Amino acid sequence: SQSPGDATTLPDYSRKGADTCIACHEDQSTLSVFRSKHGTPRDPASPFGHGQLQCESCHGPGDEHSGRVRRGQERPAVLAFGKQALLTIEKQNAYCVDCHAADVGFASHAGAHDMNSVSCADCHSSHAEHDPVLQTATQAEVCFDCHQQQRTQSMKPYAHPVRQGKMDCGSCHNSHGQTTDLMLVRQTLNDTCFDCHAETRGPYLWEHAPVSEDCSNCHDPHGSNQPGMLSMRAPLLCQGCHSEDGHPSLPQDERGLPSGIPSQFLLGQSCLNCHSEVHGSNHPSGSKLMR
Amino acid sequence: DTSGWACELCPFEEGYQADYDAGATYVSDDEARFGHATGYDNKGAYANVAGNGSYTKGGYRLDWLFEDLGLSSRFAQLDGNVDGRFGFSIGYREQPQRQFSSTRTVFTGAAGELALPPGWVSAGTTSSFPQLATALRPVNIESDRQILDLGADWKANKKIRVFAEFQRQNRDGVKISGGAGFTQASLLAKFIDYETDRIDTGIQYADGAATLALNWYGSFFENRNSSLAWQTPFATAPGAVRLQKATAPGSDFQQLSLSGSYRWNTWDTVLAFSLASGQGKQTDALLPYTSNPNIATSVLPVTAMDARVDTVNHALTITSRPLPQGRVVLSYRYDERDNRTQVLSWNRIIADIFDAGETEQNTPYSFERSRFGISGELRVWRDIRLSGGYNRRILKRDYQEVAEQTVDAGWAQARWRPLDWLDLRIKGGTDERDIDRYDETVAVSLGQNPLLRKYNLAYRFRSYGEFSAAITPTDSRWSIGTSVLLADDRFTKSLLGMTDSEELRVTLDLNYAISQRASAYFMAGFEETDALQLGSEQFSSWDWKAKHEDSFEHLGFGVHWRSENEKIDVHADYNRGSGETTINMDSLSGSASRLPDLESTLDTLRASIAYRWNDRLQATLDFRFERFELSDWALVEPDTMATVLTLGAQPYDYDVWALGIGIRYSFGNPNISIPN
Repeated sequence: SQSPGDATTLPDYSRKGADTCIACHEDQSTLSVFRSKHGTPRDPASPFGHGQLQCESCHGPGDEHSGRVRRGQERPAVLAFGKQALLTIEKQNAYCVDCHAADVGFASHAGAHDMNSVSCADCHSSHAEHDPVLQTATQAEVCFDCHQQQRTQSMKPYAHPVRQGKMDCGSCHNSHGQTTDLMLVRQTLNDTCFDCHAETRGPYLWEHAPVSEDCSNCHDPHGSNQPGMLSMRAPLLCQGCHSEDGHPSLPQDERGLPSGIPSQFLLGQSCLNCHSEVHGSNHPSGSKLMR
Repeated sequence: DTSGWACELCPFEEGYQADYDAGATYVSDDEARFGHATGYDNKGAYANVAGNGSYTKGGYRLDWLFEDLGLSSRFAQLDGNVDGRFGFSIGYREQPQRQFSSTRTVFTGAAGELALPPGWVSAGTTSSFPQLATALRPVNIESDRQILDLGADWKANKKIRVFAEFQRQNRDGVKISGGAGFTQASLLAKFIDYETDRIDTGIQYADGAATLALNWYGSFFENRNSSLAWQTPFATAPGAVRLQKATAPGSDFQQLSLSGSYRWNTWDTVLAFSLASGQGKQTDALLPYTSNPNIATSVLPVTAMDARVDTVNHALTITSRPLPQGRVVLSYRYDERDNRTQVLSWNRIIADIFDAGETEQNTPYSFERSRFGISGELRVWRDIRLSGGYNRRILKRDYQEVAEQTVDAGWAQARWRPLDWLDLRIKGGTDERDIDRYDETVAVSLGQNPLLRKYNLAYRFRSYGEFSAAITPTDSRWSIGTSVLLADDRFTKSLLGMTDSEELRVTLDLNYAISQRASAYFMAGFEETDALQLGSEQFSSWDWKAKHEDSFEHLGFGVHWRSENEKIDVHADYNRGSGETTINMDSLSGSASRLPDLESTLDTLRASIAYRWNDRLQATLDFRFERFELSDWALVEPDTMATVLTLGAQPYDYDVWALGIGIRYSFGNPNISIPN
């Protein structure tokens, strides 16, 4: 007999297709597939399109599963999907990719999800009328099931509006895996940020070198304790790279608080009180990013 | 033989089916931050309108979804499809960004010109402004995005798909922006008016063995307020009353890419590649050297920059399974940013005050970044998988202290699934960033302390370890997930700058099925990052050090209960996020001191009860509460600093609740029924 994950030879298809399945699986959550794109008979690519294999397009041949069982005998599991599936995750995913190759692409084979044996069904609810992972308001909750550290970060006081359900992880990441770093939707991290923050793109007359190279040199895009999602409080963030002759890198301690001599290097916007154009300046006198 | 499958029991539906929500929400207080992203920023009543539905007839299908129509966070989406071959989508959404409503400014005007009130008497310090108290007027720091999405796609056949997507994103509102004089500055309420058009279009081919896609991407950014002028409130040099700076210039970026993959049956080998070439441009007219008529300046070398960046991105990955139990991945990636902007000489005018009598050249930064990686995975036993990898990243750049750096990274992971319901994973690795040399002559030419090693250019050795466990017993009511990450960064060759950083992250998730109709969850997360930084006020070796400790805790729990007759549905979720930043300073010129902790605590509670009268009608009661307390010593009164006039933003400190009632009505068939 076959053991879970090791099925190599496939059983036969059922005798009547979906009519066999629906005779038992008549609950609303199963039947909701008929309100999803998967249950559209006029779409030739749909599992219920003309000539397709209906339920068994995805779940695999179901003759054994739908056949008679003796009293006390456990009903054989379906081939694909579910904890007792007989196929390996790679083979289960192959069922999906067979139709969704253009959506997923084979680059997913080198992606972190594939490398960690994440199945399509771990994220997608293929029967749902509105798959939660495809809805902005609910997508993050699906991702956070595994990416718990990112969920923690999303709750920080300065974060993208993921917690409020107004932005999804897919705005920046392609969960199907790409040849890009961090499975980003654009070729580089900066290109990804510029999708919504094109005002920082330039190219400027006066550039700020770390900005041109990598936004994450200064920002934590998943959330931060610091305004602007900065990775560290200014002026320390700036002093990590700047210690200039004539503009000394002063220690900003409690002497600079309102109770002492309020320091323009510490309070307000700190260095940005003057060097406001930190993403670059297009002013002829803007070399110090003050114009 | 499946040709005879009739699917007589399949409940294919035609016609109209939809759920619509209508109701109202009352918000207890005016609080801009509560309205951040949600749109509930003012006290009072809001209309709640939402819905979703579909219409199907023959091969035609329309799906729609809309939310929060009565709010400034509204969202609407319409998708259409014909026989699964032709599809289109229209989407519109708004995103309110609310930062401060406590801010005040003395400036009047809008767009690119801010003026002081009539009769303003300037002075050398903020506390000496005689009209300050009377001139301050409220200004909210907030902006709104409006995003329109249009898309269409056509499947020529099972293998070929053509698509085009267009997005127009407008953002307008007010941001904080520093306006510098020579020794004084004003924080300005800067009006922004951005428009970005984005186009993605392409053609894709996919069959059982290969995919190929040719895409064009264009992004076109326009800033309708491309400069900002303001009158300085401070006593200043003659002619330096009206100051001006440039804001973000309009720009465009276009990229053509070809990507594809091919799969061989031999060893289940997959090759995937991507080739992309792009160009970014910026040609906005330049402002004059200065707005000060008393400074005689030479003619600008050009009236507008012909700023141009060429980009190249290549990637190749090969995955193969030479053994049934093993997989190998080879990857290569190359990213290039070639800034071809002309290098010109510019006079140096300092803060519209004086001509430094020097010229300086712009530095168009370019870089090449390449990465090669190899990794493998082997199932050594039925339940144990071992994997490991190595990658080398090389970064070459110009005009900076470090021309070439190499990062060698290695990792190993073991994953053990002794039982179907137990998944354990442990991973560890190191990451060494080495540099060819830190060119101190470049540092000196930029006026920087030659002992400083910039954060992103310094030698760094990182080591890290991770552990995670997922316990999901099939027959148990409990499921548990937990993870721990520990990372340590050492900048051992830095005499100034960051020298040490440690990070700890811990998470815990518990889920409990109380019964078939009730469930509860608990989740917790903790993060801490400690960094040590050395600085020098004497432009010599270190004479001060700072320890920056950043921590954050998140706790959340909730319950869901549904009555036996499924008429009542109750949800309740509570979250608390607490952040704390501690900065300890120790300087040779002063003494050890600790800045007051920067603290934030955000409590959110949301509870809802839905009562279903029948299959079509449902009533909902929704309650949300938010408390946000922030302590931040950087937020000070307008005249706290002698030489910086601020907007006087106050730390968040509010309790706001919102109560909503509504009804949902279902049209069409609320339930799917099997044909008799």
